[in-house]
Amino acid sequence: MTQAPAPRPGGVIHDLGYRGYTGPRESQAKVAWTLFITSLRHAYGLGRSGRSKVLPFILLAIMVLPAVVMVGTVSIIGLPELPTTYAGYPSSMQVLVSLFAAAQAPVLFSRDLRHRSIVLYLARPLSSRVYALVRWASLTAAVLLFTAVPTVVLYAGGLLAGLDAGEETLPFVKALVLQVLLAAMLAGITGLIASWALRRGFAVVASIIVLIVVVGVVLIVQAIALEERVSTIGEVAGLFSPWSIHNGVAGSWGASNSAIVDLSTTWTAGYLAAAVVVVATCLALLVARFTKVGAR
Amino acid sequence: MSTIELAGVSRWFGNVVAVNDVTMTIGPGVTGLLGPNGAGKTTLMAMMSGFLAPSAGTVTLDGQPIWRRTDAYRDIGLVPERELSFGYLTGRQFVLANARLHRMPDAAAATESILEVVDMVEPAERRIDTYSKGMRQRIKIAAALVHDPKVLLLDEPFNGVDPRQRMHLMDLLRRLGDEGRTVLFSSHILEEVERLARHIEVVVSGRHAASGDFGAIRRLMTDRPVQYVIGSSDDRGLAALLMAEPSVTSVGLRPRSGIDVQVSDLGGFATALPGLARRHGITLVELTPSDESLESVFSYLVSRQESLR
Amino acid sequence: MNSTIATLALQALLGRRRFLLLVAFPVLMVALTTMITVMTGLEDPAWTLVGELGYTLVLPLVAILAASSVLGPEVDDGSIVYLLSKPVNRHVVAVSKWVVAWATTLLVGAGSVFLAGVVAGGGDRAAGWAVAGLVAGTTYSALFLALSALTRHAVVIGLAFVLVWEGLLGGLLSGVAWLSIGQWGARVGHELSRDLPDPVGLPWAIGASVVVTLAALWFAGDRLRSFALTGDE
Repeated sequence: MTQAPAPRPGGVIHDLGYRGYTGPRESQAKVAWTLFITSLRHAYGLGRSGRSKVLPFILLAIMVLPAVVMVGTVSIIGLPELPTTYAGYPSSMQVLVSLFAAAQAPVLFSRDLRHRSIVLYLARPLSSRVYALVRWASLTAAVLLFTAVPTVVLYAGGLLAGLDAGEETLPFVKALVLQVLLAAMLAGITGLIASWALRRGFAVVASIIVLIVVVGVVLIVQAIALEERVSTIGEVAGLFSPWSIHNGVAGSWGASNSAIVDLSTTWTAGYLAAAVVVVATCLALLVARFTKVGAR
Repeated sequence: MSTIELAGVSRWFGNVVAVNDVTMTIGPGVTGLLGPNGAGKTTLMAMMSGFLAPSAGTVTLDGQPIWRRTDAYRDIGLVPERELSFGYLTGRQFVLANARLHRMPDAAAATESILEVVDMVEPAERRIDTYSKGMRQRIKIAAALVHDPKVLLLDEPFNGVDPRQRMHLMDLLRRLGDEGRTVLFSSHILEEVERLARHIEVVVSGRHAASGDFGAIRRLMTDRPVQYVIGSSDDRGLAALLMAEPSVTSVGLRPRSGIDVQVSDLGGFATALPGLARRHGITLVELTPSDESLESVFSYLVSRQESLR
Repeated sequence: MNSTIATLALQALLGRRRFLLLVAFPVLMVALTTMITVMTGLEDPAWTLVGELGYTLVLPLVAILAASSVLGPEVDDGSIVYLLSKPVNRHVVAVSKWVVAWATTLLVGAGSVFLAGVVAGGGDRAAGWAVAGLVAGTTYSALFLALSALTRHAVVIGLAFVLVWEGLLGGLLSGVAWLSIGQWGARVGHELSRDLPDPVGLPWAIGASVVVTLAALWFAGDRLRSFALTGDE
């Protein structure tokens, strides 16, 4: 049996005075929290170049403007109620919300993969699983803010204009709960697309197709089903878009009237379950995607 | 015979000045544009190739401005530093497309002959995204040369090219220069420029630091104060002796062993040191220049240029 | 028009993954129209698909993808210098690239709208939507090419124009139709079939389409004339 020659002595690592860091370190939770806050700021272009603030804030302005106008109308003309429901408002602005999610998801999910800077994150005590989940959570928060700001404007403005707090509060809270669900789904879907399609334009168009075009198709199918009086098809069709899930549940909770199909209690539970499944599936795929990338 | 002239050229981006009042003339033959990274070489190249308007001053080719004048490209071949992103084409298709864009009468023949020149005939059938860095570089040069331009501008052409190909490309550029073409290439590596160009232009931090014959500039550089580290059998004794030498401007003892010496007159120091050591029975064990980086050479040139004003 | 540049643009378009998206989406739209026509036997919902999905969404999305694919990536990474460092007029470069994006938009976008129209019932109404698609597809592709020459965010801005301006605001404020490429095209198609909307005057619709197309093409060429190569940012 031959033995490999022992390495010749002579190689030596010089002590050039480098020192390891031995002081206290933040916990992984703190690292994740920092990433969450940074990502949330980046989703609105804060802490990035001036140019990247333009798009999110223009979209937010367009999103809030009608709410301000509505509140103004209520207070000046003295309407007895708001011209919209809290839950119906984001849904009538779904194009804006979808565009915001589609346009900002690549900011959080594509850039680190495209420039391979992901390895710098994963070199810290941060697992790829946590990275993916935190990015998703911050996009969810960003989308939620996007819909919640005009909703709060409507609610606060309405109360200031003299609407009855007892009547307004319950639908307002219902709308916010629905928006959390909606934001989680939108962030999951657009984030997943952005983590696969690294070219920004490509990801945005693909997200728009999934969010806006599919909901259009769902609406048409539901309208046909209603006309033909075959109810189950309409309800099943509604499961295929986060928007129709949101609107369907909102309708059955009596929070808005923008859904075509009336849901039974069972179907409402089904829709909620579907929302959870959508989010869980997106998260599982996101984690898988980033684990694979992190392993390389 | 073509000449590129820069007269009082400056270029700023916002409040960052990338090129500061540069005046130079690039004539026939090979010229090296030398400068450390971030010195403004790429900005200068972009202005000379018509892809950037100077903020002040003029850039002309044979008396005509280059900016916004597409006809200038009949005479210019450009090898940008940019990565080639036509990965879906084969090398041959890419060079052929370049030839066609120049409306060459026999684009196919020109393509074949230039592929031969850069030694890319064999891989020409493969898609560009399968190429190594050196192959991409060579296919870029082929594309720039296919229309037989009078002026050739190359931005960092030897990056990532293996030594054998580098020699080959240098021979090619030298030959093009000898034929009377104006060849300008940029580099941050002194040895590269030394081997190829007799005439060099040096830029540092956007300023035109030196220009002229390589040898003359090299001599200017060797006259500058140089730092050495000397190791000897009696450091303290040698230090005292060195201080008496007129060519030495400062002496310091290093913490463990050795002496730091700053020398103003390199020639005088070089002749004095061995005799000094022998007379006093000191053995020299080390003599190392401690600041031979290109940046220090450049910073010397710049400070010298400023003091001459 | 320079055939070499057009050929390269076509290769860039076909050689990328996004071409699949560009084709898959119209195919899906036609398939859906077919399915609904066959299953329900009703014309109305199918026509809704042609107008609301095909004409208002598929056509502009195809135009955005096509226009940004022929120019966007090259401007993005600066490799367009290889095309621009040639004695070819930059306006010719812009027009040659546009021709490819335009042909793709008409073939895939307007073509699929027409096909869906034929499936939904054909006749003048299908022809009307097809003509509307040809007119709007031409203007859309020129406008989005100009956007791609102007900014890296061309896709998002183009989408915002189509979805927010033409879609959302156009649905709320009827005056938006005067500045809506989709409505101009539909007005021209209205000449063939009364079933298409009639939001603005015909001379305005034609004039505005022509002016925007030409201005956008000129602008794209001018942007390329002033193309600046800066260092890696």
